[in-house]
Amino acid sequence: MSKNILKIRVGMASCGIAAGATKILEMLQAKNACVIEETGCIGHCYAEPMVEVVYDDNSSQYYANLKAEDKYIDSILSGGDLGKFDIHEGRKSKELLRVLRLAGKIDPKSFEDYCANGGYVALKNALAMEPDAVVNEVKLSGLRGRGGGGFSTGMKWSFLAAKKNAEQKILICNADEGDPGAFMDRSLMESVPHQMLEGMLIAAYATGATKLFIYCRAEYPLAIKHLKIAIDQIYEHNLNNLNGRNVEIIIKEGAGAFVCGEETALIHSLEGKRGTPRFRPPFPTDSGYFGYPTMINNVETFGNVPIILKDGAAAFASVGTENSKGTKLFALAGDLKYPGLVEIPMGTTLAEIVFDIGGADRNEVKAVQTGGPSGGCIPVELFDTPVDYDSLKTLGAIMGSGGMIVIGKDRCMVETARYFLDFTHRESCGKCTFCRVGTKRMFEILTRITEGKGTPEDLPFLKDLALKIKKGSLCGLGQTAPNPVLATMQYFMNEYEDHVIRKTCTALKCKDLVKLQLDQSKCVKCRLCIKNCPVGAISDDFVIDPEKCTKCNSCMDMCPKKAISCVAKNEN
Amino acid sequence: MSVEFKIDGKTIVANDGETILLAAARNGISIPSLCYNQKISHTTSCFVCVVKDVKTGRFLPSCSSIPAPGQEVESSTAEVRDMRQTSLNLLLSEHVGDCEAPCTLACPAHAKVEEYVREGKKGNFLESLKIIKQRIPMPMSVGRVCPRFCEKDCRKNVTGEPLAINDFKRLAADLYYETYMEDIPASIGKKVAVVGAGPAGLSCAYYLRLKGVDVTVFEAMPKAGGMIRYGIPEYRMPKTLLDKEIKHFTDMGIEIKYGMKLGDNLSLDELKKEFDAVAITIGCWKPSSMRCEGEEFVTQGIDFLREVSLHDTKYINPGKTIVVGGGNTAMDCVRTSVRLGSKDVTCFYRRTEAEMPAEKLEIHEAKEEGVKFQFLVAPVKVEKRGEKLVLTCQRMELGEADASGRRKPVVIPGSDFETEADTIIGAIGQKTNAPACLEADKFGNLAANLGDNVFAAGDCNTGAATVVEALAGGRTMANSIFEAVTGEKVDDNENPIYVSRGHWRHLAKDDLVYVNSACSEAPRTKQSLISIEERTSTFKEVAATFTEEQIKEEGKRCIECSCSAKGDCMLRNHAKDYDCDVDAIKGEKLKVAYDNRHSVIIQDRGKCIKCGTCVKICKEVVNNNLLSAKKRGLYTYIGTAFDKGFPESCKDCLECVKACPVGALTIKKM
Repeated sequence: MSKNILKIRVGMASCGIAAGATKILEMLQAKNACVIEETGCIGHCYAEPMVEVVYDDNSSQYYANLKAEDKYIDSILSGGDLGKFDIHEGRKSKELLRVLRLAGKIDPKSFEDYCANGGYVALKNALAMEPDAVVNEVKLSGLRGRGGGGFSTGMKWSFLAAKKNAEQKILICNADEGDPGAFMDRSLMESVPHQMLEGMLIAAYATGATKLFIYCRAEYPLAIKHLKIAIDQIYEHNLNNLNGRNVEIIIKEGAGAFVCGEETALIHSLEGKRGTPRFRPPFPTDSGYFGYPTMINNVETFGNVPIILKDGAAAFASVGTENSKGTKLFALAGDLKYPGLVEIPMGTTLAEIVFDIGGADRNEVKAVQTGGPSGGCIPVELFDTPVDYDSLKTLGAIMGSGGMIVIGKDRCMVETARYFLDFTHRESCGKCTFCRVGTKRMFEILTRITEGKGTPEDLPFLKDLALKIKKGSLCGLGQTAPNPVLATMQYFMNEYEDHVIRKTCTALKCKDLVKLQLDQSKCVKCRLCIKNCPVGAISDDFVIDPEKCTKCNSCMDMCPKKAISCVAKNEN
Repeated sequence: MSVEFKIDGKTIVANDGETILLAAARNGISIPSLCYNQKISHTTSCFVCVVKDVKTGRFLPSCSSIPAPGQEVESSTAEVRDMRQTSLNLLLSEHVGDCEAPCTLACPAHAKVEEYVREGKKGNFLESLKIIKQRIPMPMSVGRVCPRFCEKDCRKNVTGEPLAINDFKRLAADLYYETYMEDIPASIGKKVAVVGAGPAGLSCAYYLRLKGVDVTVFEAMPKAGGMIRYGIPEYRMPKTLLDKEIKHFTDMGIEIKYGMKLGDNLSLDELKKEFDAVAITIGCWKPSSMRCEGEEFVTQGIDFLREVSLHDTKYINPGKTIVVGGGNTAMDCVRTSVRLGSKDVTCFYRRTEAEMPAEKLEIHEAKEEGVKFQFLVAPVKVEKRGEKLVLTCQRMELGEADASGRRKPVVIPGSDFETEADTIIGAIGQKTNAPACLEADKFGNLAANLGDNVFAAGDCNTGAATVVEALAGGRTMANSIFEAVTGEKVDDNENPIYVSRGHWRHLAKDDLVYVNSACSEAPRTKQSLISIEERTSTFKEVAATFTEEQIKEEGKRCIECSCSAKGDCMLRNHAKDYDCDVDAIKGEKLKVAYDNRHSVIIQDRGKCIKCGTCVKICKEVVNNNLLSAKKRGLYTYIGTAFDKGFPESCKDCLECVKACPVGALTIKKM
């Protein structure tokens, strides 16, 4: 072998650990062959556990889908083929790593690693400028809030900066990532905690804030651990001294209420109150945490800030569309080959993300859901849409914080909408009528429809209620909760009609509308189905009793002859 | 700094910091709200106060929105009303409670049952009577003959027997009916003719008279009372009492002319000419056919009862008697036959006792009086053999349920048998016998509004029913007539919004912890009856009126189911104003019981609208902070720390109770 291993980086973010990376790390360390580094999220969830072998000629090789077996460890150390992994071309050519540049490349716990890779240069640059000039630079960059709202970050900063006479100003990083299936913020905090903190320090300098909170859900222990280490390092290196003004950074662990991602609810929670939103105005920049002017930005927003101050607003804005600048992180999940964390330039089309990066089968995709439970679905016919704040909104979806769920053709859209409403109605804080009762009633109607008990009258009623909940809810939770229903009704009304008029679920996913059928001509009477049925629904002469059958599908999965199939209940 | 803005096009100046809601109120524009309370910072919860911002199209909670200079908002458009209505409907859809007591709702006349029972148990019988007469102008009769719809829905049924509600009415009437006279207003110069002096006609006359209308009642029979006099036997309703009851109507200035029969010596056209409106309350006086051979030998039940009444019960002994039918008229006939001296009376019914439409009490008392029953038999033929009548019947068995939900009797072939009798009475049912001048529907009944200011009510409109239903119909018709002749709208001041916990059959004992948690668990007071000897030989009234002491004791059993905030519930009041429907939106409601651990306060989570007003009152006004919201979504509730109930530190100031816009916080009845 002409090249030697310099070091091996083991992906030790939550997803890696969950897949068994700890064992791989220990086995590699036990070999004592080279430097073994822990690093953050490499971004390929489907391939965890994953390591990167760095050679002395500066080249590197990934090994993935590793098992805690010696042959894998040997393969990694010897440059073998077992477990060798190359990022597929579609992703390599489409992604642009800016915010995630160092994710999976450095040790998140190492201050030196971050600094050696250009860390805190941006802060240094900022401190050399007047605070207002920093605000202006962020304004010029065109950066918009990555939490989902898309409000101009520079504008927001300028509101807080303008509060010249405030006794104290508060800066909050919203790390209460609550969308099911979204993990952009977690990965960033776990992998490059200093990047977000550097952004916060720059914001604090620019706006004059002295108390900096990170409101992070308690379910993110690793992120919190890495942040705490990083904050200690900041204090140690006196980086919290912003041209003579000391700032304090405090982590507040949230109990995991979805609504606490809403800024006024988040502030209430920080104050020790029940996390319920309040009417705005006053906006937090006028009256926030205990009445002090307060500004809230999302993790990814702060993560973008060092890029602007390091390379300049113009360089930042060189990527993206006219009104949406820079890159965006997406947590890709659902019916696709390569789920994971990706970063793409604004303006990349949905097709590029879903098919090229995600590796989804073009013939098998029905739609994509963006924005999680607050967003909407976009049908495959509209996948040419470039992803930015405004184009998604015109389609009835939202950018959201970056959850992107690919929905395959075999999914039921009514059930999908019901799934999201199940989440939101439970997460409603209960304060305002439309959200508390309205979302529950929507969920109940959707449940009825998926059970085949819906009526055609349910559909206009559901839509009317959905629109009223959007108009009559206090905060973003209620105002966006009906989106999954409205979007699926906009693009997949036929599926709703199938359920309420024909009492069928075309995708054969709604259990109350399907039955399992055994084709006697294919059956070889092996009795595997009878043995495996947990409820004894299959008779000795191989007939499935629809009354007993729970549609667990285990017989279908077991049958070696594929004699059992799922069909519409009202089909003969 | 004041701000000028517009509501519904009207320019309004808001004071510095004043919300849209308050600025509007100061300018006479009322915006509904449940959660606004001037003592506390806004809670922005109910969203009933929404207004629409014209420029942005957004809906704003006016309780929390400070107007911007030049802002234009809409508060009275159909769209805004629709939003408010939906908000209220959503709140109603999660509301668990009884706006009104089930007894009141069950009463066909909507008499305020809980209220008159409450006055009765306090001994205020005159007050009780006044409440009763708001809906039931013949309480002496109804207090005796009513099948007691109220008691059938009484929540006491969950744990035992219902409250003896009707006896409250009977005692109040017996004590004060004769002496109490309403204030009769001066004549408004309108004249109404009522045809038929039965309960429906008298009720109509009564309520019209109370509105200053001059009423003349035309009666075909020699005396007034209709079926109460000629259909209900003396032992159930003594006619001396009925005479007293009717005297009250004439004392009120209602004129009754006897021996006047419509289509006979009374012309509808003449009445129409002479009066501003005509009320038809001619009842159901035509017996239904038994549809069997030889029916000419059968005495019709209502004819029989009428003859007995016309003869002041001095009527011939019918001998061995068979009564065919299973309703209340059949029971009246068998029991009357017994009293006329017959020693052998049998009731023939084609289904079983369980399906009999007669009141259970009537069946029971008939049995006590020696009446025999033959079930599952149907008449085929009546013949006269010498002095005797012979009834041929078929035996039946019960088959599938029919349209009425009762199992249909089916003939057992070859089961014919004969029974000999002196008298055979048919009590199958009765129909309206409308004169040719009135057009009846296919069932023979008359429409409520016959056009040309002619109206109909009572049995002739509904088909044969009860006295209380006739009285209710008469009252409704009086309102229609008043509106027709004066053009004025009659406002009953009734709120049609009724949330209900559901029928008692679906409730368990634990659901019955109401505001009056100290209600007595004693059994129902027994009605005292005259001896069986007297019952079988005289027409004396069978059941005695309760004593005042008995009523006061019985009253302690009342749970008082209705909402303590019945009069001032803001949810219900706004719901009425916005034409809401408690069933417009349906879904899960929380199963929650009262928390009555506090010495004075009862917390009823089912009625809570989660507005948080009490939370803020306790925190911001009382400075005590004892309440907070818990859980999320529909399952949110307001509770005390660790749900341990109000702690010692509660000052019992009751500020939270006073501030509650609904009946979720209320004061215990001591």
